Amino acid sequence: MKREVVEKSALGVLAILTGTGVLLLLLILGSVIWKGGPALSWEFLFEASSDFGNAGGIYYQTVGTLLLMLGAALISMPIALGTALYLTEYTQSETVKKVLRNLIYSLNAMPTILFGLVGYLFFGVFLNTGVSWLTGMLILAVMILPTLQVSIQEAIEGIPEKYRETGMSLGLDHLAQVRSVIIPHSWHGMITGVLLGLARAAGETAAIMFTATTFSGILLPQSWADPVPTLQTHILVLAQDAVNSAALTKAWGAALILLFIVFILISFSFLLRERLKMEAEL
Amino acid sequence: MAALSVVCAGTIFLYLLRESAPVFFAEGSGFLTRSDWWVGESYGAGSMIFGSFMVTGIALIIILPFALGGAVFTSEFLSPRWRLVIKSVMELLAGVPGIVYGLLGMSMLAVWVKSGFGLIDGNTIFTAGLLLGIMILPTIITLSEDALRSVPGEYRETALALGLTRIEMVWSTVIPQAVPGIIGAIFLGMGRAMGETIAVMLVIGGLDKIPAPWFDVFQAGQSIPSKLGREAAEAIGSGLHWNALMGLGLTLFLVVMTLSMAGNMFLKRVRM
Repeated sequence: MKREVVEKSALGVLAILTGTGVLLLLLILGSVIWKGGPALSWEFLFEASSDFGNAGGIYYQTVGTLLLMLGAALISMPIALGTALYLTEYTQSETVKKVLRNLIYSLNAMPTILFGLVGYLFFGVFLNTGVSWLTGMLILAVMILPTLQVSIQEAIEGIPEKYRETGMSLGLDHLAQVRSVIIPHSWHGMITGVLLGLARAAGETAAIMFTATTFSGILLPQSWADPVPTLQTHILVLAQDAVNSAALTKAWGAALILLFIVFILISFSFLLRERLKMEAEL
Repeated sequence: MAALSVVCAGTIFLYLLRESAPVFFAEGSGFLTRSDWWVGESYGAGSMIFGSFMVTGIALIIILPFALGGAVFTSEFLSPRWRLVIKSVMELLAGVPGIVYGLLGMSMLAVWVKSGFGLIDGNTIFTAGLLLGIMILPTIITLSEDALRSVPGEYRETALALGLTRIEMVWSTVIPQAVPGIIGAIFLGMGRAMGETIAVMLVIGGLDKIPAPWFDVFQAGQSIPSKLGREAAEAIGSGLHWNALMGLGLTLFLVVMTLSMAGNMFLKRVRM
């Protein structure tokens, strides 16, 4: 009898603890929609901001964020693919694999503000790219590298051995094997990785706030060397103006758009993985 | 290609080391132990280091019951369908941008803390810790759930066959097996918490001092990343001030890397 009571109550407590996590997501989503919803309008989405963000919209900031994250993904993609292929197909040495894997994990755990600091010194000062779109893209590309690399590697490792063996028995050399067996059968890993990497880049503020953007009065970059406006830093500036309720409403509106972008990307990665799981079970 | 990623990680360390060297020559070990940070005069990072550990500690204490309870329930008692729901929710939560957490923390959490504890200002070390706890919940839940899942099914079957109830089975066979993985998950969560910049910066209050008495967490403080976030832009290339900030960066780097390596060692099989 006593055991049953313990069992029931323990389960109840665990369920409540788990429910809290789900509630948190709903709470966060709810408050951002609740507070940011009133700011939304077509003008908000498609107009430039004015009066230091207190009026007008977030058009340039949204486009700036998209530009930065797309650039980062484009730069990161070949490096991640190369690293993953090297690790799975080319090197036999366990030591090399171990060292590389540890480095990738370290890179993933690195506080993003350090990417900002060192990235600025290395790209901005040493390679002389300044506070610019290019610097931001390069820094974010390094930052999302682990996300892409791990996702691609998992996909490659998931390719059934018989595909490889078939390729080998047909006499394919390394390069042909990679081109016609590995890449066609692991593209989903690349897409998932890119989606998650994009989401990570979109949500990042600390690494770009003093490397890719200046805080007000900028439009879209005209060249690689110009700073970009971003949603993230826009929210930061408005948030620090916390007594002004007009600014705060605009900040919530921008946060809603940013959250929307990130959630769309992550949800697509779910869909992709779900479909693949079904294909794999056939 | 592979070499490129090695170069990336190496460069970060070397740059931090090179750029922070002058401050260690100037201040010696006092840089880490004293807490007098007056730009242009002396640089003691004690209060920032204290703040970083404090917010991380608070985050862990607050969130561990939820994270571990959630992981056990999800792994052992939920149907595959619901497991997928919880996992997806956690992935979405992990994707919420730091700046959005910061905005939420600043305009809601800080206000609640202020009225709930009757404070003059809601921007305190406690607020930052609470917010960080929410931010690292997904990391700890996801990784420790993986650790629990990886315990082979035979253990569970044997325990049940011996007549244990499900809770007893989980408590006495599954959890003990998963302890290393769970510890790993906690280490990685701590690393996350230590390095978070934007959200902490907005709610911690930004005061470079160790509260008196030290355990009074309802006072404003400063963590290493929040200090970096506030001052780096204005200090770039400005001599010792910049070197001192890089010294902070190096300290943060070493602490986070230690946590992450320890975490990965415990986890063995790592998911990101």
